[in-house]
Amino acid sequence: MAGRIAPYVVLLIVWTVLPFILPRNITDLLVFAGIYAIAGFGVSLLLGHCGIVNLAQAVFYGVGAYATAYLTTELGYPSIAGVLVGAVISVVIALFIGWPILRLTSYFLALATLALSIIGNALFYEWDWLTQGTLGIGGIPKLNIGSFALDTPMRFYYLAWTVAILCLVLARNLTNSRTGLMLRAMRDAPDAAVSLGVNLQWLRTRVFMLSALFGSIAGSLFAHYSSFVSVQSFNVDKSFSFLLIAVLGGARAPWGAIIGALFITILPEYLSRLGDFHQILFGVALICIVVFLPTGLAGGLEMLWDRLLRLGPKPKLKQAAHAE
Amino acid sequence: MQSSGDILEVDGIGHNFGGLSVLRSVTFAVADKGIVGLIGPNGSGKTTLFNVISGFLTPQKGVVMYRGAVLGSQSIQERSNRGMVRTFQTPKVFENLTVLENIMVGACKNTRTTILQDMGHTPRSNREMRTILHDAEQTLEKFELTALRDTLASVLSAGQRRILEIARAVVGKPSLLLLDEPSSGLNDTEIRNLRRWIVQLREEGLSVLLVSHDMGLMTVSDRVHVLYFGEIITSGSMDEVKQNPRVREVYLGV
Amino acid sequence: MTSTLIIQAILAGVTNGLTYALVGIGVAAIFKGTRVINVMQGEFSVAGAIITVILLNQIHLPYWLAIACGALSGAAIGALIDILFVRYMMAHGANQQSFILLTIGIAITMSASVLFFVGRSGYMLPAFGGDNVFIVFNAVIRTHAVWLIGIALGITLGLRLFYHHTTIGLAMMATSIDADGAATTGINVNRMRTLTFALGGLLGAIAGILATPLISVDYTLGVTLTLKGFAAAILGGLTNPLGAAVGGVTLGLVEALSIVSISSGYKDVISYGILIAIMIFMPNGMLGRVGRRGG
Repeated sequence: MAGRIAPYVVLLIVWTVLPFILPRNITDLLVFAGIYAIAGFGVSLLLGHCGIVNLAQAVFYGVGAYATAYLTTELGYPSIAGVLVGAVISVVIALFIGWPILRLTSYFLALATLALSIIGNALFYEWDWLTQGTLGIGGIPKLNIGSFALDTPMRFYYLAWTVAILCLVLARNLTNSRTGLMLRAMRDAPDAAVSLGVNLQWLRTRVFMLSALFGSIAGSLFAHYSSFVSVQSFNVDKSFSFLLIAVLGGARAPWGAIIGALFITILPEYLSRLGDFHQILFGVALICIVVFLPTGLAGGLEMLWDRLLRLGPKPKLKQAAHAE
Repeated sequence: MQSSGDILEVDGIGHNFGGLSVLRSVTFAVADKGIVGLIGPNGSGKTTLFNVISGFLTPQKGVVMYRGAVLGSQSIQERSNRGMVRTFQTPKVFENLTVLENIMVGACKNTRTTILQDMGHTPRSNREMRTILHDAEQTLEKFELTALRDTLASVLSAGQRRILEIARAVVGKPSLLLLDEPSSGLNDTEIRNLRRWIVQLREEGLSVLLVSHDMGLMTVSDRVHVLYFGEIITSGSMDEVKQNPRVREVYLGV
Repeated sequence: MTSTLIIQAILAGVTNGLTYALVGIGVAAIFKGTRVINVMQGEFSVAGAIITVILLNQIHLPYWLAIACGALSGAAIGALIDILFVRYMMAHGANQQSFILLTIGIAITMSASVLFFVGRSGYMLPAFGGDNVFIVFNAVIRTHAVWLIGIALGITLGLRLFYHHTTIGLAMMATSIDADGAATTGINVNRMRTLTFALGGLLGAIAGILATPLISVDYTLGVTLTLKGFAAAILGGLTNPLGAAVGGVTLGLVEALSIVSISSGYKDVISYGILIAIMIFMPNGMLGRVGRRGG
């Protein structure tokens, strides 16, 4: 029993201590990793459990960010209002747009979400009465817990990752539940699932709404952290990044998004000398993962872990563990 | 044909695919707690008929009635939730799930949870999951699959997949079970077990519509209809049908 | 809105539309031969155009040679993609999701490569016929645009002949419909698929090269062309080059007319909204067959 908890305790200690030992700019990157991971959980659930490639996450990320930005700066509402309004709008959009497009076959659906991303970005540009377009909205107030202001990377780090872990727990709960069972059934054999009474369309739509919710929360956190949002942050590239996080990390299990998020935020820092080279690397990494390591980096790490503990890969037991 | 004791009534079903008449005016019924068999050579439209009854295909002509109500636009999952479950000619198991998990999926229909409850692992969500697990374990035992409980479905043999598919269909306590060629891929012992299970299920209140090439298995039926190129050419008990000269003609000595 | 403006819009619409059509024809060609939908078709166009630009401006090849090499490089990239990745994945039973992700990965890689090697600026190629124009009812159309329209139509008809009247074309179609069956008649399935990707790459590159004198090409153009080409292809039924041409022109016209009537900021919203609407309401296009999810 102690053996199973020990690794998590170590991880917890390392996590707590990191901001104190790392330079400020790395901590800053880690904050972004946490925020992106939240958005990544949504894309990961859709990819790994529904077999859906979602390239529209940047839209919901933007909605959350702009809702927070607008409500706190223009209207002076407290930050919780921004988060809630952003969340509600995102979920509603996901419901009304998701319902018709989630019927489409996989290729069409992927392209439809891509088109959605572009439409969303174009509207963020056009509706500058709301978003200030390329000028952006600045002066978004810092988040406060009581009188404690989260105005440094280190302080925000703890919040961002706490929310991220919370979202991870929720996502993991979902995959280990009745809904999770139906999702995996839907992914493996949709005809059989539907013949057993699973309403595929409604299930897909609900997960899409959940993904939008995660995206929106991430966007609101982003707005409070960087204090400034503008349209350039919510373009198609952002959607590709969120997809990268899900694929690189591995979509089989939600925690893969954490690995993916760490990968795409930390790596460019060390490759910054090479200019915009990291984007090429991401593309190549995506190709390699898809072709050679479909379970993603998380899957690779798991295999490594098993081998280190000399337990060997045990897919059968792992699967059964997921059921309970 | 319109008797109130029938769980399923199929009336005048006709369908063609691009000019080819696959079904022409098929009419028959399955009595409540009855076992009805459909036999016929390949291409006579049996799977198409199953697709029509279960909702995978909307027939161009005719009506399907379940428990006295017309199933017009009812979707596949609605029909399933009302108690009609089918199996497939080639078993469609959930490859990446274990045998137990496969059966658990079948049990999901009798429980209800929302995504929010499931995310939070609320007491309700946990309770529903325990029910699903319990029902699945029981069915697992009933179909003698306990040894394969934690095996991934992808490594199962054809016969094991077949049985898993049936177990998975049955765990949700359906009222009408549509079995499409359940015996293909099974060895003799497995077919005998299958026959025993069908009889047992009927005793528990289940009605069965059965399509099979295996005449031994067919003897479990109360009534058999012979489907030949989209039409029922004769009906009766297994013995009567075997004696029928037209049937012998069609089967050329089976 | 004057009639001149409308005619201008129509001319622009047809020109753009046939560019989309060429991209869409490339999508259709690859789908027709392999049942894979190429989510990176637009990148072939960008790659072909940029390579032509480099060959022309840096290496100073004669224009016609630069174009030929640019177009062939598109074919080469397409063939490489098949040989390196698609063949391996098909042999290992990859599903549709994997192919979607693969083509997305290639798209990201290619557009990032363009960014890395030539930067963010846009590039243009010399137009055929220079700055000459034709006057049509007081509206203006550049000579190059007329060339584009002519070449695009020629390619469309040529493809139709190719698929229905040449051995290779028929073999390509056969391979996509039933690979095993095709193999038994002696068709080399792997080679057919490579040729199909090469053809798709060639068509994509030609589209890019023809379009670049009229619009500037930069690393972000790939996504735009892919989506619009895809819209054209769907309208045409996804396996029909002629249909893609008609679909492309339709899309181009609607887009051009909406720009003159509504503010241009909404141009993308309308174009892509139409794409989504087409996918939802007309997935089979105006003729042809495409799958749709059930259940």
